[in-house]
Amino acid sequence: MKILVPCKRVPNPDLKLKVANGSVDLAGTTWQVNPFDEYAVEAALRLTEKGKGGERVGEVVVVSIGPKDTSAQLKQLLAMGANRAILVAGDDSALDSDLVARILRAVVAAEKPDLVITGKQAVDGDDNQVGQILAASLGWPQATFLASILLAADGKSATVTREVDAGVEERRVRLPAIMTVDLRIIGKKAVRNEALAPATAEWEDTQRLASLKGIMAAKKKELREITVESLGVAGGILVKTLRHEAPPARKAGVKVASVEELVAKLHNEAKVI
Amino acid sequence: MKNSGLDKDSLQTLIDTLASFGKQKLPLKVRLDLDEKDIFPLDLIRELLGPDIGLHLLFIPEELGGLGGNAYDVYRVSEEMAKLDLGVATAFLAIFLGTDPIVVGATEEQRTYWLRRIADEGLIVAYAVTEPLAGSELSAIRTRAERVMENGEVKGYKINGTKQFISNGGYAQLYTVLAMAPEGPTFFAVEQGTPGLVPGKHENKLGIRSSNTSPVTFEDVYLPKQNLLGGVEGKGLVHAQSVFGFTRLMVAAFGLGGGVAAMLRAIRYARERVQAGSPLAEKQGYMDKLIVPHVVRLEAARALIEETAHRLDQGEPELQTEGAIVKLFATEAGNAAADAAIQAHGGYGYTREYEVEKIRRDVRITTIYEGTSEIMQWTVSRDRWRLHLQDHGQYYKKIAASLEALHREHSDVGADAAALAVNVVQETTERCRVGRLTRNQHVLFELGELMTRAEIAANFARYAAGQAAPKYQPFFAPSALKAMSRICAREAALDVLGLAVRLVRGMDAVDDAGIADFERALRSSAITACAKGLMSDMDVVAKALNEQDAARA
Repeated sequence: MKILVPCKRVPNPDLKLKVANGSVDLAGTTWQVNPFDEYAVEAALRLTEKGKGGERVGEVVVVSIGPKDTSAQLKQLLAMGANRAILVAGDDSALDSDLVARILRAVVAAEKPDLVITGKQAVDGDDNQVGQILAASLGWPQATFLASILLAADGKSATVTREVDAGVEERRVRLPAIMTVDLRIIGKKAVRNEALAPATAEWEDTQRLASLKGIMAAKKKELREITVESLGVAGGILVKTLRHEAPPARKAGVKVASVEELVAKLHNEAKVI
Repeated sequence: MKNSGLDKDSLQTLIDTLASFGKQKLPLKVRLDLDEKDIFPLDLIRELLGPDIGLHLLFIPEELGGLGGNAYDVYRVSEEMAKLDLGVATAFLAIFLGTDPIVVGATEEQRTYWLRRIADEGLIVAYAVTEPLAGSELSAIRTRAERVMENGEVKGYKINGTKQFISNGGYAQLYTVLAMAPEGPTFFAVEQGTPGLVPGKHENKLGIRSSNTSPVTFEDVYLPKQNLLGGVEGKGLVHAQSVFGFTRLMVAAFGLGGGVAAMLRAIRYARERVQAGSPLAEKQGYMDKLIVPHVVRLEAARALIEETAHRLDQGEPELQTEGAIVKLFATEAGNAAADAAIQAHGGYGYTREYEVEKIRRDVRITTIYEGTSEIMQWTVSRDRWRLHLQDHGQYYKKIAASLEALHREHSDVGADAAALAVNVVQETTERCRVGRLTRNQHVLFELGELMTRAEIAANFARYAAGQAAPKYQPFFAPSALKAMSRICAREAALDVLGLAVRLVRGMDAVDDAGIADFERALRSSAITACAKGLMSDMDVVAKALNEQDAARA
């Protein structure tokens, strides 16, 4: 089983975003792997190992599109356990979901994975497009917002679930396929490969950390840097960004003295009742 | 030996791993619980040493299955651990310390055997050296190692004695024990479960209550001779001395980490707490007393920690004096900062849930363990005094001259004030020599303080001028760092002037006529003149701290 996991780096969500002159000021920000993509890597690692801490069978390849220092995030994923990394040179300002999907389609063509797993969306742009566009353009089945993946022993299909308003929706999807994952995917028993791990297998209910052994091992793993041109993909984006704007600051509230006053305000001023 | 350590990305990944581990396993409630109930979190320590993290691999050489981290890496990890919980950090320090006699003193065969086992099994290690009657004076140890003979040859040793205040003492799987053999103090490796090895009752401490501290008793503990580290008796004190540069750097990083953790909380509180119409963080009186001076001292400490780590990694041997300077300054700065953070929180700071009172109690140990502040003062003045006698004061004269040169190129880092401080140290040391003042122990300690303050300021000026270690990742913008360096240099010059006059005049080493000459030599009027600009520099730092906190969600 070979699994390709597209990952994006995003600004550290613990830092406040500065918006000035119609654009986001990212100077001085620190970067990290998009959490949903980290969950996707965790899912891919679980699908290729014989239970928690078990031997790896198969290959997990992570791919990112970004500037050169995205290597820091890719090395972290290698330290978590991914086998190889590919960094396609690029910059967010010259990318949109369509171009990202076209680049990934070319990577898929070159790597020929059995499965592509990625986060349901990146927490910076929150577009939620890439997985779906990629599936459509490849003509592969797609299974989105997954809460669990059970890979069949023959490796030809998977039973997957996702949470919907009415409960849990379960489907069977044939491989190769594109899967996007939601945060439930890191549950203790959310992901399993029937061929490798018994039904009793359990993992920590979180994505694994980069251990020191992993960091050491990552130094020897391949991190290949390529260009969009080398993949034969033409640049050019469909989405035009006019400007960025911070949401308006909320006005301070008022205190009311009585229920009557509250109802009057809701009726006369807010006009909601 | 030169050690380039981890590459930047790997170090960052490791720091991120520690931060995630802290968020998952050591949230505030757990930290307060461990502190209040006096619990050693054995499972958590095992997890840190287990396959999912493997933190001990940081200081194991690469060829023995470790990560081969250098002093810089160890400093960064120590600071992050200390920010999280100083008790848990102490367990890690003890493992590092306990492993040291093996790293520096063992034979090649012993080194491979033990370090491999520590790497692969994640052994909890303890450094069993201190005794009830031997603290700062290690040569006073009473624990004996008697030779056990067979056919006229040494077959092994029998250990008898009691060790005191041993971190991890109750849980260690491996102890490195200093005992008096016939040829002198000697390190032995003793495994948990060896008959006669009895850990005692856990100490009930003021702080770092999540760490285990126990006495350990040895009753006729028999060890085969291959457990004698290095294979030769009498090398123990040399081994203990030769790693002080490194271990004191770690404790300095603990002082720094504790102080920074307390200040981050105080600054956040000050930005949210509104009194008399505005946040405390916008009040000059509050910031310039409770926050700014402490941040300045902590960053000055960081600058010398980084420089010392860098020099160790370049292969300079030992650096015991620098280790002492940086431990003394960083741990005292950490204590003062944590204390100010309680004050900055008002009544809330005195309650447990704001955590600053815990940090205050925790960081208190750092001026005591791995050599008290007073032993640090004495070490610094002893070493620099020796240098002064050898080179007739050239050491400090050269530093002063280089700072004056730096000031001509970078007039905005306070190098002029730092040069004045260094000059005071040189003049005072010389005056102590002429007047034979160092016969007074108090003078020796105070001289150590003087030297520390001047060397910290001198280094900070170079650091702010952009001469920092290559792995340095700035925590502050250059303009704020320069303002901090100016504040630090001014404070150092004014303080050492006062200390110098107090010493020389106080010991009646000069008469009324001589004191004017002495003050001229100290260039006291130039020093008082350099107080100029203090207020606006503190405003710059206060603004930078406000901005930095505003950028954090």
